[in-house]
Amino acid sequence: MKPTGILFFPAFDWAISPTHPEREERLLYTRDQIFEEGIMDLPQIKEYHPRLAEIRDVARLHFCIPSVEAQIIEAHLVSAGSALVMADAFMQGEIKNAFAIIRPPGHHAMTVSHGNRGFCNINNEAIMIEYLRQKYGIKRVAIVDTDVHHGDGTQEIYWHDPDVLFISFHQDGRTLYPGSGFVEELGGPLAHGTTINLPLAPKTTDAGILYAIDELILPMLEDFKPDIVINSAGQDNHYSDPLANMAFSARGYAELNSRLAPDIAVLEGGYSVETALPYVNMGLIMAMAGIDYSNLREPDYNPSRFKESPRNMEYIKKMVAQQWNAYKNREETIADNRKKSGNFVNYNKSIFYDTEYIYEDQINHLRICQNCGGFRMIESRAHQRTGEHFHVFCISIPANACQQCQEEGRAAYQDMIKKRPFDLLYLQDRVKDDLRIYKVHKDTETVL
Amino acid sequence: MLIGIDVGGTYTDGVLFKQGAIIATVKKPTDDMNLKSTLLEVLDELLPSAEGQKIERIVFSTTLVTNLLATGQGERTALIMLPGHGLPHDAYDICPDIFFARGTVDFRGNVIEKLDQKEIDDILARIAAAGIKRVAVAAKFANRNDILEREIQSKLAASYPDISVSISSEISNKLNFPRRAATTYFTAMTVKEWMQFAAEIDQAITERGLDSELHILKADGGTFSLDTSSRRPCETVFSGPAASTMGGLALSQPHLNSVVLDIGGTTSDIALIIDGAPLYASKGARLGKQYTHINAFAVNSVALGGDSCLDYDGEIKVQNFRRGAAACFGGDYPTVTDAFNCKMDLGIGNAGQSAEKLQQLASKAGMKSSELCRQVVNIVIERLVSSIEAMFREWENEPAYKVWEVVNRRKFKLDQIIGIGAAATAIVPQVAARMEVDSFLHDYSPVANALGAAVVRPTLAVELHVDTPNNFFSVGPGGIRGSLNDRGGMQLGEAKNMARQYLLDMCREQGMESYASESSFYMEEQFNIISGWSRSGKIFDVGIQIAPGFISEYKGVSS
Ligand SMILES: [Zn+2]
Ligand SMILES: [Zn+2]
Ligand SMILES: [Zn+2]
Repeated sequence: MKPTGILFFPAFDWAISPTHPEREERLLYTRDQIFEEGIMDLPQIKEYHPRLAEIRDVARLHFCIPSVEAQIIEAHLVSAGSALVMADAFMQGEIKNAFAIIRPPGHHAMTVSHGNRGFCNINNEAIMIEYLRQKYGIKRVAIVDTDVHHGDGTQEIYWHDPDVLFISFHQDGRTLYPGSGFVEELGGPLAHGTTINLPLAPKTTDAGILYAIDELILPMLEDFKPDIVINSAGQDNHYSDPLANMAFSARGYAELNSRLAPDIAVLEGGYSVETALPYVNMGLIMAMAGIDYSNLREPDYNPSRFKESPRNMEYIKKMVAQQWNAYKNREETIADNRKKSGNFVNYNKSIFYDTEYIYEDQINHLRICQNCGGFRMIESRAHQRTGEHFHVFCISIPANACQQCQEEGRAAYQDMIKKRPFDLLYLQDRVKDDLRIYKVHKDTETVL
Repeated sequence: MLIGIDVGGTYTDGVLFKQGAIIATVKKPTDDMNLKSTLLEVLDELLPSAEGQKIERIVFSTTLVTNLLATGQGERTALIMLPGHGLPHDAYDICPDIFFARGTVDFRGNVIEKLDQKEIDDILARIAAAGIKRVAVAAKFANRNDILEREIQSKLAASYPDISVSISSEISNKLNFPRRAATTYFTAMTVKEWMQFAAEIDQAITERGLDSELHILKADGGTFSLDTSSRRPCETVFSGPAASTMGGLALSQPHLNSVVLDIGGTTSDIALIIDGAPLYASKGARLGKQYTHINAFAVNSVALGGDSCLDYDGEIKVQNFRRGAAACFGGDYPTVTDAFNCKMDLGIGNAGQSAEKLQQLASKAGMKSSELCRQVVNIVIERLVSSIEAMFREWENEPAYKVWEVVNRRKFKLDQIIGIGAAATAIVPQVAARMEVDSFLHDYSPVANALGAAVVRPTLAVELHVDTPNNFFSVGPGGIRGSLNDRGGMQLGEAKNMARQYLLDMCREQGMESYASESSFYMEEQFNIISGWSRSGKIFDVGIQIAPGFISEYKGVSS
């Protein structure tokens, strides 16, 4: 039996600020726990060394304004690079599955990045997915976001991608950051039904979450047949998390991962650094490595303390049925959308960066393609934290785009170089892996 | 004058060393059943060369503990484990007489679950009824709070005074409960036999009218006194490779990145020296299938040596066994040494014999003798080079937990290969040439292991953990615990001073205070502890050591 790959990168020298939840201490007790347990010495585990992601790995996914280097520091490249190490080890058959216990986190980072949102600058899982597609030809991907916060960054990135099934369960957006992730958010016109949200009531327990896993998420994975399953593995559903109000346990997390059986899990949030993380991380490692976790529990765990209310169970059951229908009917809905839309669907979007108080305004244009999910153009403007204002135009041609979308996307870039109404123009041709930035005022193009 | 004796698995080597020169050497086959007599025979053959001059220091390495552990012949010892809530109990397959009990401490040293008195009483009664006279106790996070281990220790002392106890918090202050439990168990099960051995050696030395300091070589390349050794005898495992590596270092220049390649009869041991410091195994010495908290050099053993015999079965084979000595030394079959002898024209022993036996094999293979030698030399070099490079990669790929460690990713840049062992002269220069670095060989290379034993200094590593909000500190080894005088504003500098002071105290106690000034910090970590949104204190982890090195009398070798 192949071992489970673990990459533990606690970034003991990185913090957003000394007292911020994302501080050096966050994985200290997790380190103490997993080192003291000696679990890394077991033959079922293989530990890996982190590496830096390359600038191109980031630029393949994000439009960092004005540049990748301006938006991130080395810590982000190590965190993203660690996910890539796990991806390589998995694809090369060295391990049966992988868990990247890394920080900084990433699931609130969207396609365009003007700064830090929800403790995230770049999206580790999505960078890994585009790397997998580029390097190994992976096509269909399922991401299950098990963080208590809605994975709004990952959702935005794959909103129009019919080959990525993004499922997020989280505490209801009316009661928690980032205030999104409602049942009606089902994906763009050509990818409707491959974004699935399950907003849960505060105090939802193991029973409620595991019901959604068994009755909705597993059947969807079964039906969608992804090439790879990713767990965007936040740990803040835990009953002791200071930033949220759920009632999930360490054993519940272990059980979830055992049932979900993700190929790669990547740590996201989780800020109960002393009373949850050490035990939840142990539970995840044990579940992924197939080690019996029935002896694992938090010091203060009392199974009788959390009982799912019949009313909440009823709510979850209803929502599961509703989302299953949305998913099941997605092909009809998409066909319908294709018929009734013009060549392009255009929409505006405002994005707030809570960590840095940045307001970004976007105009999105999606090509309605008969053969693929279409390519996307994003006009974005924002005053960044430095006081600088940027007005940029970004063209993203997805990895599975058809030839016509690719040609039209590239032509649009050339066209914009002539029209010049922006500070910066970006081309992201993921089919050819051709990444370019055009500085309009200097008339220079950088090929990444 | 100094004496170093390395009791190896096959041979025991001894040297008498004075002012830069080896005065006498002795080599004898090791009698596994009677290590003491082998040791004393070698000593007695060396002594006449001293001509009555004072022997200041005798250091020996021994396989006694290695043999005890390999054959399971240590004292029957019960292991009581308090594993708390985590891995299933079957993950701890350390020994036959193992008992699990309730009682849990967390990483901050908080007692989460007390002992179940009745359960412990029952376990102790069962141990006593089985006639077991020695007990090892290991609780998870006992390095952060030893109260549960101490309670069991007191219970035993009160109810079963004839049963001896070792507790894990005294053995190591490091994290990793299974390693700490295994180390405690191995210590307990070997201590009785070791103490008897030590007493006999001590007596034999006294009988010979010597008043030399007596030291034992450890796996970490340092020594400890006979007295100190009885506290942690299992640190004497793997001292053979440590002796060779330190010997290689003693003979060559310091402050280089080196490979020490010790080529024996049928195995070659590879060790790394990084900027003059030997590399340790990152998970500690591995005894059987169990990792431990014993500091040991990272040594990669390859089943290939000067006596490895050569065969042909459709292709040329370098076997992992021997059929006797090399042909040039009167053997009946061609060996690796013979192939190098002919190919490089080394003139080792009776080179004509090498040529003759190689020719016989070459005829069988239907090739020229020169082609046979070329192939053998290639196989040997490539196998050694790939093993060396695998070690570089392993070192480069050690886990990293800080951004700067990843950004400044280390790369092993080799300066030289130090050859040790009888067959090194033939093989090591070729390996070095292939890797495009210098080779280093010394006339004393064949006895580098015994020389290494003679001239290495004592080592000691002390680890301090401080938790200021909990007003707590612990020091290992020894299991020292205490509270802080000023819990509020402690800074890293004070924690370092504290660790240095404990090192100094331990040096004094072990008669090695003259080395205290050469200590260096190998770990300095600090974390702010936040409660709510404000700082409530700090956690420090500090490690300070007297690293492996040489006694001040040793100023290198002449010639
Ligand atoms: Zn989520
Ligand atoms: Zn979160
Ligand atoms: Zn298309």
